Amino acid sequence: MRNVAIVGIGYTPVFVSKRRDVCIPEMISEAVENAFKNSGLTPADIDAVVFGNMHTFEGLNLPHLWSADFIASLGKPVMRIATGGTTGMSAFHAAYYHIASGLHDVVMVVTYEKHSEGDAQVGLMGIITPEIMAMLAAGIDVTGQKGMGAIGGGSAGGISYQATSYLHHSGAGIEHIDAIAAMERRNASKNPYAHLKDPEATAEKIAQTPLISWPIRFGHVCPTTDGATVCILASEEKAAKIADKAAWVWAVANCASDATTGNLIEGIITDPGEQMPATIAAKKAYERAGIQDPRKEIDYVEIYNGFAHQTLMFLERIGMCEVGEAHKLLEKGELEMSGSLPVNASGGVVSTNAIGTSALNRVTECALQLMGQAGEHQVEKEVHKALAHGWGGLMQYVTITILADKPKKL
Amino acid sequence: MSVQEETFLTPVVPLDFTYNYYIGQYLTRYFKGFKEKKILGSRCPGCSKVAVPPRKYCGVCNKVMEEMVELPQEGTLENFTVGHVTMEKGGRLSPAEKPYVLGLIKLDDKASLLLHKVEGVDPSQVKAGMKVKAVWKDQVEGDYWDLDHFEPA
Repeated sequence: MRNVAIVGIGYTPVFVSKRRDVCIPEMISEAVENAFKNSGLTPADIDAVVFGNMHTFEGLNLPHLWSADFIASLGKPVMRIATGGTTGMSAFHAAYYHIASGLHDVVMVVTYEKHSEGDAQVGLMGIITPEIMAMLAAGIDVTGQKGMGAIGGGSAGGISYQATSYLHHSGAGIEHIDAIAAMERRNASKNPYAHLKDPEATAEKIAQTPLISWPIRFGHVCPTTDGATVCILASEEKAAKIADKAAWVWAVANCASDATTGNLIEGIITDPGEQMPATIAAKKAYERAGIQDPRKEIDYVEIYNGFAHQTLMFLERIGMCEVGEAHKLLEKGELEMSGSLPVNASGGVVSTNAIGTSALNRVTECALQLMGQAGEHQVEKEVHKALAHGWGGLMQYVTITILADKPKKL
Repeated sequence: MSVQEETFLTPVVPLDFTYNYYIGQYLTRYFKGFKEKKILGSRCPGCSKVAVPPRKYCGVCNKVMEEMVELPQEGTLENFTVGHVTMEKGGRLSPAEKPYVLGLIKLDDKASLLLHKVEGVDPSQVKAGMKVKAVWKDQVEGDYWDLDHFEPA
């Protein structure tokens, strides 16, 4: 296995509800061009491309081929990956495999979502429709008449059981979900690539937003965003030649639980808030990165939180704190950009969700923190190791990436 | 290049998309049980846990579950949510007529949680741990709608 580094990152200039000035491949090309500009690389340097976005959200089944000339992939190996919310990080992992294996030296990951041109609810329905029992059990009237029940709001309905379970087992209250949502919207206001920004956000303000499905309120839920993210990876040998600064991959890991019932009850006999794959994947990643005590060794964390309670819940599941401790760290201000365990200085997914990019942005945001290039949302403490978490699939698939500011000793 | 006018194309294709999914052998047996007002699950020969509704495999043990067992009609509400919106055909969200309860119900310590409507209780009074029982339609047809809802036992 070879060391792999992140040597270039490119975002679209903005992440917003509706990009009405560009079509899908034009929007993607903005991030591609920015990645080239930021890294000093050119299309000729790229050996292969890995592409990621959500299945059917824009009704396109082969967007990577449709976009071929916009992503500098003509005449090169290209593959598309779609694993749900985790897509961006799965694509990143695939690029890592390309290089670590010795097959390629420089690989570009291209991810996007242009929610405004498609229908996320239709896409989400397409994930579970054949799992007929899951639909019926969720109160979805499969005869298509009315009253689709809690899950009718997309994953917001399904996720409410997870949030209820998290509150029950942690001792946290809905006010803590309000508070973490407010913290992330404040953080987002310092990130030029965030969507929902509110420098004045408070728990009280979030608490005034309407309940969707208890305990999930409107203010706890991610937006639908248009945007694209590109990340260029290189082997250690190449990185030394082409990059002044790099973030180094120390471990990748992922894990799924029971795929079909996972949609609602995550494994045959389990708890919707258990998220066993997060615990397993994190443990594997720590092992691969040679990390003995993640709480001491990991300086910064980016959690995939389509819903605000997940920041707190997943910090516990990946072992960054004890069960029932995350909301106490929040109360003490430790999760803030100035705290001892800064999380989601970017504003997280709850502030910006161009979903194909969302799990990759967890990685690129960790990389920016490691390289000291996060600008206004750079955290106060020094960051030497960072963990990026992705959550997706049928609510039961988790990806983990651990990055550091220097190459791993092989 | 700046674009002053928004131009969209909404393609109309001459096809209606209709999918027909067979519910599978295990759910067929589950609904057959409904005809006798029975709630059936499949038991794992490895860990003896019960999947309800029944499924073919125990994912943990990687074993085929062939034995069908009848579950009690009364159980414990393990977890719930209160819905405040519904989605209409076409994807439009609207406020629910009144808040409604969807619960995860444990019918047996060894069984998976069954998701169902909980009625006959004020949503503000619902508590995890309360006992609930199955309520069937008077005329059962052997389909999903036979098991109408759960209510406090």
